[in-house]
Amino acid sequence: MPAKELTRPCMDCKDAEAILTTRKRSLCSHCFKLFIQFKILRRMDGHKAPPKIQKEYLPSKLLLPLSLGVSSSVLLHILDWQLERQRSNPHSRVAYQLHVLVIEPSTISPSNSSFDSNFEGLQKTFPTHIFTRLPFYSVFEYVPEMKELILEYAGPQFADDSSQSDEARLAAFRGSVSSATSKDDLDNVLLTRLVVAFAKQDACETILWGDSDTRLSAKTLAGAAKGRGASLTWQVSDGMSPWGVQFEFPLRDINKPELQQYKSVCPELSNIVIPDQPIPDNILTKNLSIDELMMRYVETQGAKYPGVMANVSRTANKLQAAGSDDPASCALCGSLVGNVKGNTGITVASQFGESQGSQFCYGCSRSRPEIKS
Amino acid sequence: MAPTLCFNCKEARALIIRPKNRHKLCRACFLEVFETEVHETITTFKLFYPGERVAIGASGGKDSTVLAAVLKILNERYRYGLDLCLLSIDEGIRGYRDDSLETVKRNAKQYDMPLMIVGYGELYGWTMDQVVEQIGKKGNCTYCGVFRRQALDRGAARLEIKHVVTGHNADDVAETVMMNLLRGDLPRLSRGTSIVTASGASEIKRSKPLKYAYEKEIVLYAHHRQLDYFSTECIYSPEAFRGSARTLIKDLEKIRPSSILDIVKSGEDMAVLVPGETNPNGKTCRSKAAAEDEAEAGGCGSQNGRSSGGEMAAMETQLAENEAAGSRETEIRLPQQPKPGSSKTQKPIKRQVMGHCERCGYISSQRVCKACTLLDGLNRNRPKTAIEVSASMDDEEISSTLARQMEHTQLTNS
Amino acid sequence: MAETATGSSTLPITVEFTGGLELLFGNERKHNVALPAQLKDGSQPNISYLLGYLVDNLMQDQRKDMFIMEDNVRPGVLVLINDADWELEGEEMYELQKGDNIVFVSTLHGG
Repeated sequence: MPAKELTRPCMDCKDAEAILTTRKRSLCSHCFKLFIQFKILRRMDGHKAPPKIQKEYLPSKLLLPLSLGVSSSVLLHILDWQLERQRSNPHSRVAYQLHVLVIEPSTISPSNSSFDSNFEGLQKTFPTHIFTRLPFYSVFEYVPEMKELILEYAGPQFADDSSQSDEARLAAFRGSVSSATSKDDLDNVLLTRLVVAFAKQDACETILWGDSDTRLSAKTLAGAAKGRGASLTWQVSDGMSPWGVQFEFPLRDINKPELQQYKSVCPELSNIVIPDQPIPDNILTKNLSIDELMMRYVETQGAKYPGVMANVSRTANKLQAAGSDDPASCALCGSLVGNVKGNTGITVASQFGESQGSQFCYGCSRSRPEIKS
Repeated sequence: MAPTLCFNCKEARALIIRPKNRHKLCRACFLEVFETEVHETITTFKLFYPGERVAIGASGGKDSTVLAAVLKILNERYRYGLDLCLLSIDEGIRGYRDDSLETVKRNAKQYDMPLMIVGYGELYGWTMDQVVEQIGKKGNCTYCGVFRRQALDRGAARLEIKHVVTGHNADDVAETVMMNLLRGDLPRLSRGTSIVTASGASEIKRSKPLKYAYEKEIVLYAHHRQLDYFSTECIYSPEAFRGSARTLIKDLEKIRPSSILDIVKSGEDMAVLVPGETNPNGKTCRSKAAAEDEAEAGGCGSQNGRSSGGEMAAMETQLAENEAAGSRETEIRLPQQPKPGSSKTQKPIKRQVMGHCERCGYISSQRVCKACTLLDGLNRNRPKTAIEVSASMDDEEISSTLARQMEHTQLTNS
Repeated sequence: MAETATGSSTLPITVEFTGGLELLFGNERKHNVALPAQLKDGSQPNISYLLGYLVDNLMQDQRKDMFIMEDNVRPGVLVLINDADWELEGEEMYELQKGDNIVFVSTLHGG
């Protein structure tokens, strides 16, 4: 084959025009995609089909919660590509079955418009997977004790009206939380509970979270800042969650800008992904939530020091899960109540006095709606 | 607007909102609660025994001044039976330490405690002014930190005192936690939150009775007790205002005032989860390079937890090299990738064995301790003492020059 | 305080800088300040106004960001209004009264 005339050849195949630069290497779109796919698929090595000689084999079920943001959409795109290859290869078997759960964005934030067309596009583009859509307030249906729980959690100030719809009751609870930090924190807790409950009902053994490395580092710092350091071992590390469902984060080697680049070379994702609503630059720091502050910090610092920021989530992933001999876990978020065994520290989130604190962990106690003193 | 009444006594006007629980307290109740909480820290961790001789590492700054004041009060109120004294380090920074040492001398009179001052000059043959003249302003904090740690120990040893307390507060500990997450330094993550560090061989125990006290409350305590303290930034530490971790902590405090202790709580929990670490972090952290750690964990209070842009850039370069090496490796070994779970079963963290420096006898994990190594470098270049004339001053130099000018103003005014 | 200088048009207050902040204000801890009693739009001067006034009239250092950030007091600088945490008094919206004592304390300086 005659060599092509290339102005800036791809550093990998040397056979196509490089269209972007990633990690100081100029690549064509094909090789860039391969690079990202490789990085993500090596995180999926734990999910392999046994060799064909063994007859009985039921592929395991993995749940992918899809926010329709860039990261989780790219994850779906790549896993779909992997399964497609396995399916079309006569010598291999399909390693797993993918269930995709979408929590309707408009039920999380009213500023999100209808996503019907995105959902349709999703099913059309990836026809071989099972898709489910649920409203956020179905957390009451999937976690039946949740109504009781939020009543106890929010305290006497929160007036729950049982004649109201689930939608209205969830809105009332979320409305009773005053600070941006607590709002984000509790939303994350409730969303996790809903996804886990769905996974269990659906018999999925693993949840594949679509957090970019950027978000994992931000979650690490935010978790530490919110007194949730002990639960980083499953909130940002690959590990067993308190509910017996494995949590994995296959995007942990890829940062947000790289996922954006990937999306930009996959036109089929353009009518699926709902663009991020960026935090406005003019918002005052004190009005940000801790999660937003940390995301902004990791994104701005990551532009200069991507390696340092990636190292944060890598460090958190090295922490060992706390021993399971301490049975007390938070009724709301599943984290340990009290200290990790061996920690003799004396910090307590004692706003409500010790007697009431026993059911909820330190982090959840901090996010409780404030009682006016 | 009608004044808010104190949450505690319901009588006096509330002047303070506590960061940890948003309680609104009057002056008297605040002072009392603050002191009681330090007392609880002391008793919970059994920091002292009756009759113990304790040296307070005193810089003249807010933290050590409050520590001295509170310890004096508690020692009398609860009859600890402690024999307290002040121990100050003279780094030999003209204009900076001169004024703060004057403050310490006044404190010694006010609190009726003996004072001992140990100078870098007499201990090492180098004052910080001379060190800076030799090496420039960049990196001098390393020297200062390493020298200080030993200086406190040596000072205590001269006084035959085996326990030094320092003014490290909750903000300092929180900064260290964030710093070590940013640096990916697991061993320090596991040690940095300890309230007591004892380096077995040197027999000098260190503790931080203000570990659970918010910096904000320390400043307010000093204000409402009208304590005499000295505050300035070190003239050789121009990065003081720009540190990544510290800025982050102050932003967090603005968003959620309790978050500093929340970070301490996270740090204490994570310390136990660091693989290969079994020591209960809240208690004593024995040896294991604790000696060298403390030097790093600050003490001057102006560099503690502050990662300068330079440090982050250097680390970025290092990580990029690792990444490049790592990706070459993975390309060759494509067929046997490690399983995702296998990252969990990594090697335990290397333990350091403590011995003694063969030069000075100070506890060290190396043959020659860090201070002696630094001194070697300094002494080798001693004759040179070139005075650097910088053609173009960068930001750092401008700001420290400015600080120096301010110091001069201060001197002439006082 | 210089009571004589007080006309109907000025609002005398005292402002103190401590904890290292005095370094930015000519190394003077205590300042007597006379603000206009009424602003052009008819409102009374509040802390927000005072901050701008201090930067424009009293600050002698270039490093404004050691005192002000995002048009407000920099995180890490405490504000006391007549000895009370400014959060008890409405923060930057607090309307200054004749004879008020406003203290700015930095927690950022080394100890």
